[in-house]
Amino acid sequence: MFRRGGVLVLVAALTLAACQSAVSTGDLQGVAIDNPSEKGSFVLTDTEGESYDFVASTEGKLTLLYFGYLQCPDICPVHLAQIAEVLGQDAELARKTEVVFVSVDPDRDTPEAIREFLDRFDPSFVGLTGTHDELKVAQEAVGVPPARIFGEGDDYTVDHAGWVIAYAPDGLSYSIYPFGTRQSEWNNDLQILAKIGEGQSS
Amino acid sequence: MNNANLAVRFLAVAVLALAAGCAGEAEGLQISDARVGAPTGPNAAMYFTAKGAAEADSLRSASTDVAGEIQIHETVTSDEGTMSMRSVPRLELPAGGQLVLEPGGYHLMLIEVDELEVGDTISVTLTWEVAGEMTVEAEVVDPSDTMGEESEDTEDH
Repeated sequence: MFRRGGVLVLVAALTLAACQSAVSTGDLQGVAIDNPSEKGSFVLTDTEGESYDFVASTEGKLTLLYFGYLQCPDICPVHLAQIAEVLGQDAELARKTEVVFVSVDPDRDTPEAIREFLDRFDPSFVGLTGTHDELKVAQEAVGVPPARIFGEGDDYTVDHAGWVIAYAPDGLSYSIYPFGTRQSEWNNDLQILAKIGEGQSS
Repeated sequence: MNNANLAVRFLAVAVLALAAGCAGEAEGLQISDARVGAPTGPNAAMYFTAKGAAEADSLRSASTDVAGEIQIHETVTSDEGTMSMRSVPRLELPAGGQLVLEPGGYHLMLIEVDELEVGDTISVTLTWEVAGEMTVEAEVVDPSDTMGEESEDTEDH
């Protein structure tokens, strides 16, 4: 049932991609964005300590952007594991995709710890960090409510956006993925999104 | 005569209710689907479903040899869609009902957890107000497999 639907969707997406600009986002199962939004511009630091310009580094790629933190055992790993599972089964798709995880907990999450965390899912996932101010700017730039920290001492918790923002290769976001997104929805949507505006930038 | 008739009917209804309520032959508090997401940081989350208790019970605490501490947590989603965790003192299991721990809701947070691999099994002791201590085995699964069956496609986003 799912599989047959998926094949049909894939065929439809391929057909549409062949017609260039005629792209149907109607088959996406994520939460649709009424007016597809452009990437917000921000610069943070990656796990190698290098400056990472989000717009420039992800140009022409299917880009999945997520703000989380390492001591989040409940929802953050689920999103990342689901994405890793889809990409792990499709090397071509993985090659065209950039997964960007931004830690919003710079006081606890060192670049080394972020790298180690992401390597458990996929070593190609990009991990970013910055100062509290830089992170706030980045979150506002992409229209996400900035994470807030509750509690005192070491025992604090972080209130952060629970959804993943997807940008198609054309640089626009057509859909977001709240917590609760199913594996089948990821499988479906990443295939479709990867073909929107594919090849336009090169 | 009348009374006996009534008693038989009552018994029949009671048996039916019991059969429907338990959905199985087991009596008393049962734990199913106990699972732990493979740790990706210092913590891991454990989930399970508890049901079958004839009287209301509440989960007061939990412990395991493979973590420094276990806290009972709830993930709360705000109106804006932001999510945060908070610690809760206990979880209530209604009489004849069920208590579901699942991603995005309640979980047991294993703090300073040992290195665990997918496929490992850990023992966790749950302490209930009424049922007392009970040790359950939880399987370590990939975090993408903590969400349970993909059967109900009634997820509302």
